[in-house]
Parts: sequence; structure tokens; C-alpha cells
Amino acid sequence: MDDERVLRETLRYLGYKREQPDSQIAALLQECMEELKKAVSFRHVKREVSLQLTEKWGICTELFTAESRSLSRNLKGCDRLLVFAATAGIGADQLIQRYERVRMSKAVVIQAMAAAMIEEYCDCLNREWKEEFRKAGRYLRPRFSPGYGDFPLECQRTLIRGLEAGKRIGLTLTDSLIMMPSKSVTAVIGISSLPADCFVEGCEACGRTDCEYRRD
Amino acid sequence: MGIRDELGKRIIFFDGGTGSLLQERGLKPGELPETWNILHPEIVTELHRNYLEAGSDIVLTNTFGANRLKYDGKNSWDVKDVVRAAVENARRAVEEAAKETGKRGWVALDMGPTGKLLKPMGDLAFEDACAIFGEVARAGAQAGADCILIETMSDGYEMKAAVLGAKENTDLPVFATMTFDEKGKLLTGGDAASAVALLEGLRVDALGINCGLGPVQMKAIVKTILEEASVPVIVNPNAGLPRSENGKTVYDIDADAFAREMEEMARMGAWLLGGCCGTTPDHIRKTVERCASITPLPITEKEKTVVSSWSHRVEIGDDPILVGERINPTGKKKMKQALRENDMGYILEEGVGQQEKGVHVLDVNVGLPEINEPEMMERAVTELQGVLDLPLQIDTSDMEAMERAMRIYNGKPMINSVNGKEESMNAVFPLVKKYGGVVVALALDENGIPETAQGRVEIAKKIYSRAAEYGIRKKDILIDALCLTVSSDSRGAVTALETLRRVRDELGGRTTLGVSNISFGLPQRGVINSAFFAMALQNGLSAAIINPGAEGMMNAYFSYRALAGLDPQCGDYISRYGGQAGGEKAAAPASGTEIKSLGECVEKGLKEQAVQAVKILLETEDPLEIIQREMIPALDRAGVRFEAGTLYLPQLLMCAEAAKAAFERIKDKMLSCGETQEKKGRIILATVKGDIHDIGKNIVRVLLENYSYEVLDLGKDVPPETVVETAVREKIRLVGLSALMTTTVPSMEETIRQLREKAPWVKVMVGGAVLTEEYAGTIGADCYCRDGMASVKYAENLFSEDCR
Repeated sequence: MDDERVLRETLRYLGYKREQPDSQIAALLQECMEELKKAVSFRHVKREVSLQLTEKWGICTELFTAESRSLSRNLKGCDRLLVFAATAGIGADQLIQRYERVRMSKAVVIQAMAAAMIEEYCDCLNREWKEEFRKAGRYLRPRFSPGYGDFPLECQRTLIRGLEAGKRIGLTLTDSLIMMPSKSVTAVIGISSLPADCFVEGCEACGRTDCEYRRD
Repeated sequence: MGIRDELGKRIIFFDGGTGSLLQERGLKPGELPETWNILHPEIVTELHRNYLEAGSDIVLTNTFGANRLKYDGKNSWDVKDVVRAAVENARRAVEEAAKETGKRGWVALDMGPTGKLLKPMGDLAFEDACAIFGEVARAGAQAGADCILIETMSDGYEMKAAVLGAKENTDLPVFATMTFDEKGKLLTGGDAASAVALLEGLRVDALGINCGLGPVQMKAIVKTILEEASVPVIVNPNAGLPRSENGKTVYDIDADAFAREMEEMARMGAWLLGGCCGTTPDHIRKTVERCASITPLPITEKEKTVVSSWSHRVEIGDDPILVGERINPTGKKKMKQALRENDMGYILEEGVGQQEKGVHVLDVNVGLPEINEPEMMERAVTELQGVLDLPLQIDTSDMEAMERAMRIYNGKPMINSVNGKEESMNAVFPLVKKYGGVVVALALDENGIPETAQGRVEIAKKIYSRAAEYGIRKKDILIDALCLTVSSDSRGAVTALETLRRVRDELGGRTTLGVSNISFGLPQRGVINSAFFAMALQNGLSAAIINPGAEGMMNAYFSYRALAGLDPQCGDYISRYGGQAGGEKAAAPASGTEIKSLGECVEKGLKEQAVQAVKILLETEDPLEIIQREMIPALDRAGVRFEAGTLYLPQLLMCAEAAKAAFERIKDKMLSCGETQEKKGRIILATVKGDIHDIGKNIVRVLLENYSYEVLDLGKDVPPETVVETAVREKIRLVGLSALMTTTVPSMEETIRQLREKAPWVKVMVGGAVLTEEYAGTIGADCYCRDGMASVKYAENLFSEDCR
């Protein structure tokens, strides 16, 4: 895990744009980083399934079916799908819960940092997989999560169940589709035999250019 | 013969995996395996038979995920029908196999996790979890299961709910296995030793480990479990570690290697063996071949006195431990006020403070005549265990409060207290038997406190023997030797010390003492307390109930441990005192550091310096004047900079924290002069039903409190009705609602609708990640707050208009 990138992303989540934190906040970040590293426990589970793209933006796999224009576009030219779930574990939530009651300033930093960490963890995994697949002449698309664009949030349920994510990595879902541990990611990644390097990933791929958190 | 009678006579074998075998027969990914009990009973029955013929003594019903959350009887079958069908399938297999082999197996009702996380982290209430498991257990027992196996639990709290559900609804033997990671931790962070403490406390018939790991990775954890447990141990590993091959899951060791490892488990002392994911009848057959002739190792009773939290266990042994006594209203004005005002923050801070000072267990006493103690106790325990990982000592004489706290406690608690009176023992021991715990037993009875150590030792013996009738062992009792103040009884200390010594030497028991009682009525109590504490430790005190803020007590404790050979190389002593220069407290800030004004300290978020500055000001100035001249302008300056984007959220909150610390000092001063600071208004804050992300609401609370608003914080996942009821009852002018998810905005809308109907005078401000000005308008809110400062502004405007 790249600490520098985690720190940069943490600051972005906290509303810093180009400014550097003062020494007091820099020290707080370090303190949080140390505590959080002890508390997190990253796990993931993944599964490769066959994929059919049907009419009207239909996406059909053995784990879920959905209609989504944005995901269909993302998956154009793909015939298989990697489905995965990853989590930083409940330790991060326990820390946040503790500091919410006794030191709010630390709670907000830890919550931003844990979010940055799980993203970084997923980026690392995705890079590894990309490399692995490339060797076999297959190409991975950027990851796409339920709730992005018009990919229905309801798919969360079937994804998590199909991956047995509860049993395997302790990822649970509330009735209102909130993931717990909260620092968790579920996503799908299209697999294609055609390279598609022109894809932009993450924040930059989003159409909303006036977002105050936008990375540039 | 019943399964309980058979335990220990020979090794008992469970079956192996089901999921992958059902998949081979056509179960689709994502399809619920339990439906096959009804759709394909013949396949499920055959699977059981294969295991029985391979040598399994116990087959697990195909009910891992069978609970009402997945089988609600509306969108799918009813859980009771699924369970009944599953037990019938297993029973049929047992009968058929018995005809074939002449050996009759047992049917274990299998209960896996609900797939939900319990509150406060998740949205499943503890009692709801108990009911969900209870329903399954009842259905299984009615259908004819011989025992219950609760398995693959990776959260001790959910495990506790399942055990209670099973035991409160059936008389069947209950076995419990948990899932650990390679580091030996549960997903929720608990370790194996704490899991054993919890499960033994709940009096399960056997306990152990399953799933998650292969037998090789499990070995170290099994060893720990065997060292801690005094009940039979179960080991049901996966067939090694999984990896993916062409989209299929395969495991890294074969049936022969598996059996070899399992033989080792039996030789180490496990009594029940089986398999989990990836294991097949072949794994079980080979395991039976290797292990059937092994005589189970006798179980030794572990004489360890152990309490646990959700994360770890604390042993009360020869090395004494500290129990922090500060969460107790007796003689504490501020604690009493906090309890009356329902101010959990104060209690939590006392808890965190004591943990930082080094106590091992926290005593929790919230008894005040004018409050509802059972409710308050339950709330305090819930909040404390949400924030702290220390074991708690539930300290109350109210039996309802004691039971409610023991029930929802996430671990094996310490309980304070029982005594030698029949009435007390009859009330407390059944609770300890049911929920587990280490109980403090006061050496007094119907005749009062014996004047002699002999009398106290006699009572201790009586308590031990009455406890034994409930199956509660001596190791789970701490005798409180009782010290009466030496100011009225010159032999008070001598008698207590003799009692400690004799309980240790003659009875082999563990002891406790509220140490500072010795000095009631004397001047400079700390002087005599610390001397007495050292003497008590030397005489065998095992758990000292003290104030860790009293430096003299901590000095006595660390010195004693170093001198008594309990602190190898004086490591703890040195790490505590090594950096201190000659005992003198750190003096005033070094010269050269510029002295900042209170306002500056607050604005910059310098908490300690703000406290120092306010102390100096309070010596000469009026508290209200300080608030007006220094505090409020500082908060305003920070607020303006935050809005301008030159000060960021963590800084704004550090400023708020510094202000809060300074306000505390000001409040103390005003309280001592009999004044109170007027609140500007009362505001309800709540995170709406269905939403469990609390952070936004909590930021707003911190800020509003600094602007002298009284915040009624209803927490998270709050039903609309609760918000409305509170608003009506308390005649609230302003309600702040938070929602983070698109899925929970509808319950925000519903809350607003109900408020408009029943409390039309209320103004509603809303905030949360998915909301916008426009969205807030559509759901009928009066104000959208994009951040915490916006809510302060809205409140300031609203309440000042009201004044005009």
C-alpha cells in the first residue's frame, strides 16, 4: 500500500484541494495512520463468471442480471466478468465509533483515511489482476460498482450473496443496502479479449465536473 | 445413548462439507441451498447417508442459512417448514444408515450466522437475533434434532445471541464453533481465549473452531483453545486453503493429508472431529480410519479466573489487576448530573480516561434513586462496549439492572456483587449460571460483617459451596474481604488483610477489595490508601478496585509488581517511570514559547493550552465575561474561516474540542458558585431509520453544543415515531436529521411528514451526503445544511428570531 497516495486521497476527502496541511494536522494524520494500520484487516473474495450483454442495456450473468446503460457501455466487448468484494474489516469502524464519542477531529480523519485505504487496496488488487490477465491475452476494464451511474444498488444483495462475502470476508448488508464493515467495496470488472486502453478510470470517468471532491 | 454420555468415551465424528457437493448435483451459484430440503429431499438425504456410511456419528442438517431473514414465508418458504424438512431428511438418512450399518447416528440442527451485523455496528438488534435463532432451534427440536451445532460464527456477540436462543427454547445439547482468521482473530477482532471465556460462561456442551482455515493453519488456534477450555473441543476445518482454478474452487490438501492432520488434533486433545468447506465423505472416512481408536485425552479443569470483553480476556491470577472505580455517582456531583441529564459522553470520557491510565477492567455503577437504573445500566453498558475494549464490572444491587446488563454484555462480565445472604445468592447465582461471569462475593451475611477474619473465611466457604450447587466454580468467584475504615475500627485493615491471606492460602481463592474504603473520615486519604494498597497486594489481593487517577495507588501497584517478581526486568515499571525526571511534575511551558490568549488557543485547536489559559482567566474574571469576550468570538472566527475554505474540517473540530475542554472548566467554576449557564435552545438530532452512518450528525452535535445549545441526540437508525414523540414530549423547536444513502432519504421524508402532522411548530434542518438544496425542498425540509456550520447558522437565526 502506497502511504503517500493514501495521505493525498485522505486530504482530498477532507476537503483539501491543493493546500498542504499545517503541522498540527500533519501530525494528526500520522497518528491516525498508525492506529488505523493496526486496526484494518483487508480481505477480498472474487469470482469469474460468464457474461452476456443483451438488448436494452441488459447484463446477464449467473450471479445477477441487471439493466444498466452505463455498465453496459463499460462492458462493451466483454464476454466474461470478474465479480469481487473487498473490505478493510470492522476494526476501522470500531475506531471511528470510538473517536466519534471522544474525539471527533480524529474520527473524521480516520473515516476519510479508511476510505482512501480500501480504495488503494482495490486499486492494488485490480492492477495485479490486470497484469495476470494480460499475460493470458485478456484485458480488464475499470471496476464498476452497484450505485455508479444507473447500475442498480439492489444488485448489491445478489453480488454479496453469490460471492458468499458474509461468510468469507465478513461483509454484511443492512436492510437499507448499507455495507458493514462500512469501508468495503463491491464491483464488477469486465474481461475482454480486446485491449481498451482509452478508458479513463475512477474519479475522472465521472460526468459531473463541478464536484468539489473532483481529482484533477 | 444420548450424545452427552458418549462424549469423552471415544472420538466423535461430525460430517464434512455440503455446499460444494450440492453444487456438483446442480445447485446454482446464488441459489439458496436450504431450499433443496424441500425441492430435492432425496439428494439431501443421500448426502447425509454418504457421510454416515463414511463413519460420521453426527450429521448436520442442511440449515446453515435457514432463518426468517431469508425464509420469511412470504417471498419464499417459511423457515419452520425448511427446518422441519431438513431435520426429516437427516433423520431418514440416520434410520436408513442404521439398518445398513447397525450404527445409529445423531442429527445436529445446524445454525449459521444470520448474515447481518448486530447493533451498534449493524442494524440487527441483539434481542431480534436471539429470537431469530430461537425460532430455528424450536423448530429443529420439535422436528426431532438430537443436538444443536452453532457454527461459522465470526462475531462473539452473534454467537451469544444464538446460544441464548438455543438454550431458552430447547433442552438440547448445544455445541458452538467459531471461525478465526490466520492471526487467530474473529472478524470482529476477538481472540480465541476470549471466545472460550464467553462460551464456557454460557455453558455450552462443547466448543471449538470451524471453517475459514485448513487444519494446518488451525493448529496454533486449537492449541490455545485446548489450553483455555475445560469442556470438550470440536475441530471442523476446511480441506486446506482454497484457490481458484478455471473458475472452480479447489483446496490445497487431499483427504489423506487432511486425515493425518486431524489425527494430530485428536492427539492434542480434541474430542470431536469433522470437516467444513471442501471436505467430502472421503475426508471423513480417512479421518475415522486414523482416529477411531484414539482414546480421548482427559480434560483438565483449567483453574483460571477469566473475564472477557468482545476483544480480549483478562486473567485474574497471581499477577493482580486493576478495576477502575470512577464510573460511580457516589460522592460525585458531576457524574450525578450527567446521569440525570442522560449525558453518556461524560461516562464514556471517564471510561476512556481510566483505560488510558492503565486499568484492566471498568466498574460500572449508575445507581441513583431518581433514575430508572435498569434502563440506564443497559444503556451505559451498550455505549461503553461500543467505545472501549475493556471488560466491564456490572455493579448494581438492582437485580433487573444486573440481568439486563449481563444479557446484552458482549463477553464474560465481572459482576458486583453477591453476598452470603440466602436471598442474594438465590437471586445472583442463577444469572451467573445462565450468562456466565466472575462474581464478586462480599464476605457478609444475614448477621452482618463478621468482625474476625475467621468469620469472613467461613462465609467465603459457604458462598463457594452454594455456588457449586449452581455449577459455578470457585475460580469464578472473587471474595471481597471488605475493609472498614480504620478511623472507626482500628483493626479494620488487619482483619481485611488476614482475610485476603487466608482466602488465598487456605481456600485457594481469588480476592477483591474496594481499597480506598480504608480511609473514610481521615485527612489526606491518598497517603494511607497507597500504603494499605501495597499491604493488600502483599497479602494476596487479586483484583483491586481503585481510582487510577490517584498517583499514589498507581505507584504502589507498579512498585509492588516489580518487587514481587511479577514484572520481568522491571519492564513495566521502567516504561512508566523511565522518562520522568525526579518525580517533579512538568513545570510551566518552557520560556520562549509565546503565551497565547484563550481565544487564540481555541481557534487553533490547542486543547491543553486552552485549558491552561482558561484556568488563569477564571482566577480573576467572570465566567460569562470569558465566554462573551474570548470563546464565542474564537468559535465565530473559526466558523468564518471554515466557510471561506481556509480552515478544514479536522481543524474546525479540533477548535470545537479545545472550546469544549475550556467550557468544562468554566462550567465547573459556575457550578461551584451555584450558577448554571443558560442554554440557547434545545435541538433534537437524529440519523434517520435505516441509516447507520452517524458521523455527519455527530459533527453537527459537537458544533451546536459549543454554541450553548442543548442537544438531544437520539442516535442512529431512529424510527420517525421516536423523533416525533420526543419532539412533542420535550416541546422541541428544531430538529436536525441526517441521511447518508439514497435508500434512507425516504425515511427522512417520512419523519418530516409525521413531524408536520403531530408537531407542526417544529422546524426541520437536514443534511447528508446524497442531499442537495433541491432534494431537501422536495422532501419538505425547512433548511438544507451543506455542512456543520450551516446548521449552527440556521439555529442561531431561528432562536434569535424566536427571542425577538
